Amino acid sequence: MSRRSLLFAASAFGLMTLQTPAQADVAPDALVEPVAEYKLYVLDNLDQFVSHTEKFTQAVEHGHLQRAQALYAPTRVYYERIEPIAELFADLDASIDAREDDYENGVEDPDFTGFHRLEYGLFKERTTQGFTSYAKRLMTDVNDLESRVQGLTFPPAKVVGGAAALMEEVAATKVSGEEDRYSHTDLWDFQGNVDGSQKIFELFKPLVAEEDPAFVQRVEKNFAAVEATLAHYRREADNPEAGFVSYEKVSQADRRAFVGPVTVLAEDLSTLRGKLGL
Amino acid sequence: MSDQSDNTSRCPFALDRRRFLQGLGAAGAAAGLSGSAWATSPPETDNAHDVTSAPISTTTQQSHPFHGRHQQGILTPRPATGMVVACDVLAWDRAGLERLLRTLTERIAFLTQGGTYPERDPSYPPADSGILGPTIAPDALTVTVSLGASLFDERFGLTSAKPKHLQRMTGFPNDALDPTRCHGDLSLQICANTHDTIIHALRDIIKHTPGLLMVRWKQEGTVPVVPPSHDTPTPSARNYLGFRDGTANPSTDDDDLMNALVWSGTDPGEPDWTHGGSYQVVRIIRNFVERWDRAPLGEQEAIFGRRKDSGAPLSGGSEYDAPDYANDADGKITPLDAHIRLANPRTPGFEKHRILRRPFNYSNGVEANGQLDMGLLFIVYQADLEAGFITVQNRLNGEPLEEYIKPVGGGYFFTLPGAVDDRDFLGRPLLKATATGI
Repeated sequence: MSRRSLLFAASAFGLMTLQTPAQADVAPDALVEPVAEYKLYVLDNLDQFVSHTEKFTQAVEHGHLQRAQALYAPTRVYYERIEPIAELFADLDASIDAREDDYENGVEDPDFTGFHRLEYGLFKERTTQGFTSYAKRLMTDVNDLESRVQGLTFPPAKVVGGAAALMEEVAATKVSGEEDRYSHTDLWDFQGNVDGSQKIFELFKPLVAEEDPAFVQRVEKNFAAVEATLAHYRREADNPEAGFVSYEKVSQADRRAFVGPVTVLAEDLSTLRGKLGL
Repeated sequence: MSDQSDNTSRCPFALDRRRFLQGLGAAGAAAGLSGSAWATSPPETDNAHDVTSAPISTTTQQSHPFHGRHQQGILTPRPATGMVVACDVLAWDRAGLERLLRTLTERIAFLTQGGTYPERDPSYPPADSGILGPTIAPDALTVTVSLGASLFDERFGLTSAKPKHLQRMTGFPNDALDPTRCHGDLSLQICANTHDTIIHALRDIIKHTPGLLMVRWKQEGTVPVVPPSHDTPTPSARNYLGFRDGTANPSTDDDDLMNALVWSGTDPGEPDWTHGGSYQVVRIIRNFVERWDRAPLGEQEAIFGRRKDSGAPLSGGSEYDAPDYANDADGKITPLDAHIRLANPRTPGFEKHRILRRPFNYSNGVEANGQLDMGLLFIVYQADLEAGFITVQNRLNGEPLEEYIKPVGGGYFFTLPGAVDDRDFLGRPLLKATATGI
């Protein structure tokens, strides 16, 4: 077989193995309703985020260490759900949710503020002393975020792309346990990201279900697999409010069990924009 | 085995390329070229080459056939770059494992022969990373798939078919194993002429195996290239201690020797499915290069048992001459604890312990003390892990070289037999041997 024909055969083989994705024929106005629905979801979560942040920052300011520790994770969940929108405001995302790794001088960096600066105080240093200014700044930033989002026209590509972006968040920083390294409340954030991603998928699912039922089935199956593993680590099986056990308690096998469905979700959901022609 | 021909017709700038080749005297036309010609400055190219123009290679069309009784990457001549990627298998049942093995087979068959990726609607993620462009050249790529002992646990029903000697690597006395750089369910050895080709192959494989494979650790390496030589055998490449490495390898041209030393198939205790496979040992061996560079040359040579410049044994001759221990029983010429003498004492009956070395040099970064983190990505193949690496390493325990080296990672794997044709896939004989209910 000549070199040329070998190469030709090889390229034909490659073409066959990479499936060509199907594209739904979606009219632009079909996106209006789910995008509007999504804005309502985001605003509702922001509302909750503001009121939870009030309670959380008050606890810090009043020196209630245990209460502040207990409110840390349940407050963050609302932010984690709406990250694709919150991240559109890069300055606030940095001051609210940056981690010490984002700064050359780490924890000591004067620009390091927000949840993870407070996390270091509450869970590593185990004190609220000296954290009032961080608490006040966080409240200001969260209020600022709410008013900015209210005035925002949601770009459909950002909304739809958010489903995959949230799974990228999980794959990059949640599975490793680095997001909440002092509080070990990673599973709360994990659930928040999954909730947010699943919400977007559910809103746009009707627009792709007919065109690509296998895709929908696969995504639903993998969301279910992630949820099932998460459920295993709930403090109370029937009470979602009770939250999750420490991420330190998650076995290596289960951390690995997350990676599979999370990666497949990230791959699959990365095609959602394409399927909707965005 | 390898197709070295250049295919200028595939090159959009065929004329320039031919002229370039003439200037270089490459592609096998260099017969009359004296050694000194290689010492001249880079070839003049009269076509425009800007600072950001891609560097030119005349070997991008080299390819190794994928199908065969054995996988490539073992007897295949070692190219300039290589990488070992150890993975955990995320598939949780036999169907998932089969899908993984079939996918790996498909991707490797494509990547090693080259070809064109399909175009996609721009609102979708592209079919490929694109780092080599829409059409990829083989660039002598090989991807070699091997399985770790952990894959033979209860997950996939493979326990009864585990290769006889396959086991989890355990530390030797001089080791300081880092658990994040050890073991794995599956290893991929990826080698090519250029580094970007192996990175491209890895990213393609990761892209096609979501939910099936998770990278556990990886180590990349290189070997220094040498100009072609037409009157003397090509010397072995040097390691980061400056010594030639692999000189005493068994001859890969000798089929009987390879069947005895490298390929599984002669030991009746091995499961039939292993025939044509081989045991792969990977070790990440840190070299303390600053300290080594401050050691006297005479001591360095005594530690290895070879001359540093030529690679010749201390007993004389040139690189490929056998060392003479018969007339040196006291180790006055070649110390009894010299690396090459411990590793292979050349005594009757020791032949069965010989291993096939295929290492790369690695350079990772800087340690907290300001010293360079570099060393040897040691890779060897053998038909019998116990008789091969484990026996040899046990003989080396306590050698003077240990003062300058520290193994920090790696693992033991079993390299699957090859996929014989396009209906076959890597690992099929193993799955067949363990199938139930048929």
